[in-house]
Amino acid sequence: MKRTIIKVFAVCMCLALLAVSFAGCKKLEKDTYVIGVSGPLTGGNSGYGVAVKNSAQMAVDEINEAGGLDGVKFELVALDDQHDASKVETNYASMMDKGMHVALGCVTTNPCLEFAALSKTDNVFFLTPSASANDVVKEDNAYQMCFADGNQGSVAAKYVNGLELDTIGIFYKSDDAYSKGIYDQFKASLDDSIDTVEASFVGDATDFSTQIEALKDCSFIFMPIYYTPASNFMLQAKGKVADTATYYGCDGFDGIESADGFDISAIPQKVSMLSHFNSKATDGKAGEFITKYTEKYGKDTLNQFGASAYDCVYAIYNAMKAAADAGEDISPNMTASELCEILKAQFNGGFTFSGATGTNIKWQSSGYVDKEAIAFVIKEQG
Amino acid sequence: MSRNGIGAKKIQWKYYINYIVIFAVAAFYTVLSLTGNIKQSETSLLEKIAIAIILASSLGMVVGFLGELSLGHAGFMCIGAFLGGKVSAILAESLGNGILTLVISVIIGGVAAALFGMIIGLPALRLRGDYLAIVTLAFGEIVRTVIMNLPEGLFGGTLGLKTPRFNNKHLFIIAFILVLVCIAVIQNLLRSRHGRAITSIRDNEIAARATGIDVTKYKLLVFTISAFFAGVAGVLYSYTQSNVQSTNFDYNYSIEILVMVVLGGIGSINGSIIAATLVTFLNVKLQTILTGDLAVLQNLFYALILILIVIYNNAPGLKGFREKYNFKSIFGKIFKRKSVAEAPNASGGAAPENNQGEEN
Amino acid sequence: MDFLTALINGLSSGGTYAIIALGYTMVYGIAKMLNFAHGDIIMIGGCVMYSVLSAKGNPLLAILAAVVFCVVLGVTIEKLAYKPLRGAASLAVLITAISMSYLLQSVAQIYLKSGTPALSALRLEGSVNIGSFRIDYSTILTLAVTIVVMVALSLFVKYSKTGRAMVAVSEDRDAALLMGINTNFIITITFAIGSALAAIAGYLMLCKAPILTNTLGSMPGIKAFAAAVIGGIGSIPGAMLGGILLGVVESISYSIPVLAPFTEAVEFSILIIILLVRPSGILGKMRREKV
Repeated sequence: MKRTIIKVFAVCMCLALLAVSFAGCKKLEKDTYVIGVSGPLTGGNSGYGVAVKNSAQMAVDEINEAGGLDGVKFELVALDDQHDASKVETNYASMMDKGMHVALGCVTTNPCLEFAALSKTDNVFFLTPSASANDVVKEDNAYQMCFADGNQGSVAAKYVNGLELDTIGIFYKSDDAYSKGIYDQFKASLDDSIDTVEASFVGDATDFSTQIEALKDCSFIFMPIYYTPASNFMLQAKGKVADTATYYGCDGFDGIESADGFDISAIPQKVSMLSHFNSKATDGKAGEFITKYTEKYGKDTLNQFGASAYDCVYAIYNAMKAAADAGEDISPNMTASELCEILKAQFNGGFTFSGATGTNIKWQSSGYVDKEAIAFVIKEQG
Repeated sequence: MSRNGIGAKKIQWKYYINYIVIFAVAAFYTVLSLTGNIKQSETSLLEKIAIAIILASSLGMVVGFLGELSLGHAGFMCIGAFLGGKVSAILAESLGNGILTLVISVIIGGVAAALFGMIIGLPALRLRGDYLAIVTLAFGEIVRTVIMNLPEGLFGGTLGLKTPRFNNKHLFIIAFILVLVCIAVIQNLLRSRHGRAITSIRDNEIAARATGIDVTKYKLLVFTISAFFAGVAGVLYSYTQSNVQSTNFDYNYSIEILVMVVLGGIGSINGSIIAATLVTFLNVKLQTILTGDLAVLQNLFYALILILIVIYNNAPGLKGFREKYNFKSIFGKIFKRKSVAEAPNASGGAAPENNQGEEN
Repeated sequence: MDFLTALINGLSSGGTYAIIALGYTMVYGIAKMLNFAHGDIIMIGGCVMYSVLSAKGNPLLAILAAVVFCVVLGVTIEKLAYKPLRGAASLAVLITAISMSYLLQSVAQIYLKSGTPALSALRLEGSVNIGSFRIDYSTILTLAVTIVVMVALSLFVKYSKTGRAMVAVSEDRDAALLMGINTNFIITITFAIGSALAAIAGYLMLCKAPILTNTLGSMPGIKAFAAAVIGGIGSIPGAMLGGILLGVVESISYSIPVLAPFTEAVEFSILIIILLVRPSGILGKMRREKV
C-alpha cells in the first residue's frame, strides 16, 4: 500500500515538474508591443482596477485602429492582484513571459511598491496611472501620472492652512499606504496653530459609529481615503456631523458621485476634493474621454484612475513615436531595458503631454509629475 | 508510517523517495537556471511551492500526527517574516545581501517563531479540538495586528517592512535545500520513538499519559518545531518580497495551509508535499491564465475544485465509486507491480481522526 | 458620557454578534460541525436585499426576501455539501465549509460585478436625544431585535416539540435517533433557523453601515465564532453572552485612543484569557474525558 502512495507521489511530482517546465514554453511571436498592468480586477478595490483595464484597453484599441506605431500594434496584458502585494511577483513574471516591453505598473499603491522593486531588476519602464506613494518612483525607471502622496498631502495642507480654521478633523485608514502617506505629509505641512481631531480605521471595518462620535463636532473633516469607506462614513454621519460641515478628500474620492446606490445629493454636507481630473467635464480631452468611456463601458466605473491610465498609454505611445521620429530605432524585438533607456531619455528630456488629466504635463527626472491640481467641489452644501 | 521488514539491513528506498524526487526537481531546475534557461515565472513559482511545502508539512505534523487543529500557522510565519526580514535588512548593510545574511536571518526568524510556538503550545495542554483552533486563530490575528501597529521604526508599521529582495534568481535553490532540511527533521522525528509517542497522544491522550509518555513535553515539542519551520518559511517569503505587509498573514492564509494538509491526506507528510505543490500551482495558474474580465472566475474555480475533491475523497456514500475510479485504477497500468487494496487518496479519510475532542 | 456611548454602541454591535453566534452554536451543537460559511450567508442576504431594492422593492420586502432566500440557501448547502460528508472525518467537513465560504464569496463577487454598492434605503436614520446624549434608532432596533430573537429562541428550544428534539439531538444523536427523532429533519431545521438569523443579522449590519461587499460577513463571522466559543460553543445562552461581551469590549477598546489600533488584538486576547481560565467557555459544559 505504501508503495502505491510513493509511486503516486513520484508521478505527481513528475507531473508537476513537467507542468512547470511546459508552462511557458510557447515561443513568442514578437510582432506587437506588450504593455503590462496589474491591478485589483476583483475584490474591494476592483472599481479602480477595472477602470484602468478598460481605459487602457480603449487607448490601445484606438492606437491600433489608427495604425499603431509605424504599423506595429500594441497589446495590453491586464492581470489581477486583488490589491495584494504578494500576488504581484507572479503577475510580473507572467508579464515578462509574455514579452512585456513597457508597463503601467500597478493600479494601487501597496502592490506597486513591489512592482517597482521587481521592474528595477529588469529595467522595465513604467508609468503608473494611480499608485501615488513617493517611494513608487524611487527608482529611475518609474514615473507617475498621478500626484505623489506627499505632494497631495502638502497641497491639501496648504489649502486648509488658508481656510482660517481652529480645529479640523482627520479620518484616515491607518493600514493603507495611500491614506497613511497623505496623512503623514498633511500633518507635517499643516500649521501648528490648527488643532486636529483624528480617527482612523483598519481593514474592512464598516461600522464607523465610534469614529463619528469622535469627529462629530468638527466643521471640516479631511478624509484621505478611497470613496467606498468615504461614502459609508458620510451615510453614517448624517444627522451627527453638522450639516454645514465640509468633507475634503484627495483623488481617492474620485468616482464617489457615481458609486452604486449612493446618492450624494442626499448628503447635506459639502463634499470637495483635490484632483487632476474633472469628472464633470463636457469639453476638452477630459470631456472626450468621458463620452467615449461611458459609451463603451457605462458610467459605473468611470473615474480618474481610468482617465489617468488612458493618458498613460497615450503618453507612452507619444514618447515612443517622438523617439522614433527623432531617429531612434524602435521595434518589438528590442528588450524592455533598451526601450526603457529610450523612454527615460524622452521623459527626462522635456517631453510634454496633454490629455484627459491635464495639459502640458511634464515629468521631473525623479519620476514625479508636474501638472495643475484642480480643487474640485463635488457637491455644495444642502 | 509502518515499518516492515524487521532488522532488514537493506536500505528502505521508499523512505527516501520524497527526498530523491524533490532533489531531482531542484537539481533539474538548478541546471536550467545555471545555464540561463529558466523563466522568471518558473523561479517565482518554485519559490512559492517551496514555501508552501515547508508550511504544509510543518502544519501537517501538528494536525496529522499530534491531532490538534491549528489555525494560526500564518501567525508564526508572520513572526518569521518580520523578524527575519528585519535582521536581514540590518545585516545586508554590513555583511552584504548574501548567503551568510540569509542563513543568520533564517535561524533568527525560525527561533523567534519557535519561541512563540512554545507559548501557544501551553494552552494546547489545556484545550481540545475547536477550542484550540479558535485560540490559534486568535493568536495569529493578534500577532498580525500588533506587528502592524507597532511604531514604524520597528517593523515598518502599516506600510510594511522593507526587506532586501534576494536579487539573483537562485533563491529557489536555497528554498529547496530548506525544504529538504525541513522534511528530514520532521520525518526523522516522526519515525523515531518520539514520533510514536506523538501519534499515541493523538490516538488516546489519557492512555498515552498512563503509559508514562510525557504528554506536555511532546505537545510543546511538536508546536515548537512546527512553528520554527513556519518561521523559516516566513523568512523565505520576506526574501521574495521587497516589502512585507502583515495584512497578508491573516487567518485566510492559515486556512489555505490547512487546506493543503487536508487535501494531501491527514497524517501523510508526502501527501502534504503533493497537495502544497498542486494547490500553489493551481492558484498561480488561475491567477495568470484568467486575465482581464475572466479574473472574477479565479476564486469560483478554486472553491469548486476544492469542494469536489473533498467530497470525492471523503464522502462515505461515494466509497464504491471511489474504489472503482481512483489513481490506482487509472494509473494502475503504469505500475507493473500489483499493489494491495486501499486507494491512496482515501488515506485522508482512513487516517485516524481525533480532532474534535467531543467525539471521543 | 463617552464611556456610556461606547457601552451602548457595544451592546448594539454585540447583539449582532450574538445573533450570528447563535447560528454557529446551534449548528455546532447539532451537526457537530463548524459552519465556516455561516458568515457568508449574511453577505448573501445582503445581496438579495440589494437585488430587491434595485428592482424598486421596498425595504421590508427586501428583508423578507433575504430571510426566505437564506433559509433555502442554508438548507441547500447542507443537503448538497455537508450531508454527503456526514460520518466522514471532521476536518474534511471543515474544509468543505471553508470552500463553501470561498464559493459564496466568489459568486457574490461576480453578481456584484466586484462593486461595493451602498444600500442607502436600508439605512435607519435619526436618533433619540436626551440632552447631549444620543442613541441611534439603528442601535435601539438592534437591541430590540436581539432581545426578541433571544427570548423567542429560548422559548422555542424549551417548550416546542421540535426545540426539545433539537436539544436531544445535540446531547446524543444516536440515542435521539433511537427515540424516534428524525435527526435529518432536525439538522435541516437547525440550518434553516441559523440562516434566517444570519439574514436578520445582515440587515442589522446594513442598517448601520449600508455598504455591501462580498466579504461583508467574513470578519463578523469569525468574531461571532469567537463569541460562541467564549460563551461555550453549543450553548445558546452562551452565544448571547459571548456576543454581547465581545461587542462591548470592541466598542470600549475602540473609544480609547491608545488601544484603538489594537482593538482586534484586545478582542482576541480576551478570548484566549477566558479560554485559559475556563477551557470550555463561560457557560460551556465541562466534559470529563474517559478512556
